[in-house]
Amino acid sequence: MARKTAPAEPITLDDSLWERVMEATHGAVAPCFQCGVCTATCPWGQLQDEPVNVRQLMHRAQLGIEQENGAMWWCTTCRACEELCPRDVPIADVMVSLRDLAWKDHAVPEGVSSVMWAMYWDGNPWRRPPSQRAGWSKGTEIPRFSPDCDVFFYVGCTPSYDSRSQKVARALTHIFGEAGVTFGTLGDGEPCCGDAAYGLGQHDYLKQIIETNSRLFAEEGVSTLVTTSPHCYDMFANHYPKDIGLKPLHYTQYLAALVEEGKLKFEKPFEARLTFHDPCYLGRANDVYDEPRAVLSAIPGVTLVEMEHSRADALCCGGGGGRMWIDTKAGERFADLRVPDAIGTGAEILVTACPHCIACLEDSLKQAGSHIRVMDVAEVVSAALGAGETP
Amino acid sequence: MIDPRYGPQEAAGVWVHLEHEAGELASVSKEILGRARALADERQEPLTAVLMGSGVGGAALEAVSLGADEVLVAEHPLLDPYTTAPHAKVLDALVAERKPDILLLAASPDGRDLAGRLAVRLRTGLTADCTDLRINPENGLLVGEVTGFGQGILATIECPDHRPQMATVRPGVFQRPEPDASREGRVEKIAVELSEADRPVRVMRRSLKHGVDITQAERLVVAGRGVSGDLALLKRLARLLKAEIGGTRVAADAGWVGHDRMVGQTGSVTHPKLALVCGVSGAFQFTVGIQDAGTVIAINSDKDAPIFDVADVCVVDDVFQVLPRLIEYLESEKKKNGRSD
Repeated sequence: MARKTAPAEPITLDDSLWERVMEATHGAVAPCFQCGVCTATCPWGQLQDEPVNVRQLMHRAQLGIEQENGAMWWCTTCRACEELCPRDVPIADVMVSLRDLAWKDHAVPEGVSSVMWAMYWDGNPWRRPPSQRAGWSKGTEIPRFSPDCDVFFYVGCTPSYDSRSQKVARALTHIFGEAGVTFGTLGDGEPCCGDAAYGLGQHDYLKQIIETNSRLFAEEGVSTLVTTSPHCYDMFANHYPKDIGLKPLHYTQYLAALVEEGKLKFEKPFEARLTFHDPCYLGRANDVYDEPRAVLSAIPGVTLVEMEHSRADALCCGGGGGRMWIDTKAGERFADLRVPDAIGTGAEILVTACPHCIACLEDSLKQAGSHIRVMDVAEVVSAALGAGETP
Repeated sequence: MIDPRYGPQEAAGVWVHLEHEAGELASVSKEILGRARALADERQEPLTAVLMGSGVGGAALEAVSLGADEVLVAEHPLLDPYTTAPHAKVLDALVAERKPDILLLAASPDGRDLAGRLAVRLRTGLTADCTDLRINPENGLLVGEVTGFGQGILATIECPDHRPQMATVRPGVFQRPEPDASREGRVEKIAVELSEADRPVRVMRRSLKHGVDITQAERLVVAGRGVSGDLALLKRLARLLKAEIGGTRVAADAGWVGHDRMVGQTGSVTHPKLALVCGVSGAFQFTVGIQDAGTVIAINSDKDAPIFDVADVCVVDDVFQVLPRLIEYLESEKKKNGRSD
């Protein structure tokens, strides 16, 4: 569909805006030579008549021309474009840096600031009471972390409060117990990692969160930190200071190591045909593709099949980059695109390893009337170890 | 501490700042009038309402019928529409001259804006966003109840030395009083002197949002996937309960309800006293939208539905079996009580 354009007006370059954009993006857009592969790769092109013009966004950022139509807010930071970018432009980081500028200009979409206030007041982006943060364990006593624990278990906001993801957190504690891993949490005192502030571009506030949390983790003597969510893992691994002794791991990495060391053994078979959906913040953002597959393949009885788009070519669920807190119209949801992929494999269970992926994929599968179940890797492992809880 | 402009010895009377739109009192102002009447009675003091704007005199009688003993009407073209500076100037002068003991405003966008500005000028405290107001029987002070930190903390706040004792009141927390047309009160016109220099902000354009605001609804009947687009019974029930209709994202996507009625993280976070959720499975992204509800009644045929984890009353049954009986009961109760709406 061709866009009707008004007669072209001369474009005036604004040097001060150019300087602001360069500073905010650390000059990351400079290498872009405008090939347009990003626009062609962006999943929005499969859902909207007019694809998000990523190339144009980059060009405007290069020249210091004001962005239009709030296009920067569409980005789910899935980094599919970055995989193919011949100039290695960190496009998702540029997008969230442009959002950071929008905060400074008081030009953020409606509803986004209330997410930041929720984090500020309640310590989580869901506006849930901080006093109920430890409620996910449903009364099971969870040990308080001390430096002699094998791992510091960082539960995360969504697995703390979302009753669906709480099951994943409980499954993990079951697995730790079975593998003889000693672990502890900070209970009600666990802070938010700041992922929503990163994705929604409120980077001044993010800086404060990171400083406060780094101090807290240092005081607590945290070293090996295992997260439920790839988003929290990405924050700790790529946005927190390197010199505070933190060794962040996504739990799939930790479980893969336990399997490798022979500490996690599966005795009974778990007969099922599974396919694995790569969460963007695990796969493309951190190159963790093999570990979840290694864990699943170690379970006797499991048949692991791949979807048409997998690993670096996987489709995003739509929940990253703060999009979990921004409404997406029906018919424009990324997870809908994943339904035929999953059905195409003949799998009974669509396995993933991210709370946002679970929410989006379950929603789309339900909407499509599919009977494919969505399970987290932790839930599959826990079930294979003989846990009573079924998702 | 900064000295107040006047102290408790000189202060007397309960004041309410009224908000209005097109000559009609805002519902939150009516709610505050009802509560303020009770506070004034307890202190055996008169209740004064303040109306500011242009051509707003008509609402004065309505304020009297809702409990005001006296209505101060300040009219001037520069007071319409609301902007901070002229309103603050006029109300500040009025308060400093007549020295009320208590001054209540709405915790609405305008009320919050005005209250903050006034409190600083009057050098007094402001208890913002109260969910309850009462008089401390021991010292006669106004006690404002404020919830914070995701309902985790309940603070009660008094303002002992400075006057007026100011509070903004959250919409929907007090009952709206029944108007009594036979009540009598005094309406006084206040002379207002303002010049263009008093209004540094010019309103270029006002746009009014039409449609519903379910965040303000006292009662909600919410439709989920389970009602399959058949909202007839839900609407009948909503009329009986004087409730608004809300919907999940599924209901909004399918067009069963408008997008302005969508409850949840990316829709509206609501605060009803009662939420009756029908055929809603209870995904987390939905339940954050009703977490502030007083009582949640959930009807769902699936006994394992996660909505039952957050509901206060759980009905495991088919919505279309339960609602007719509920409607029948409510209708017969209504007949018995002889109420007509």
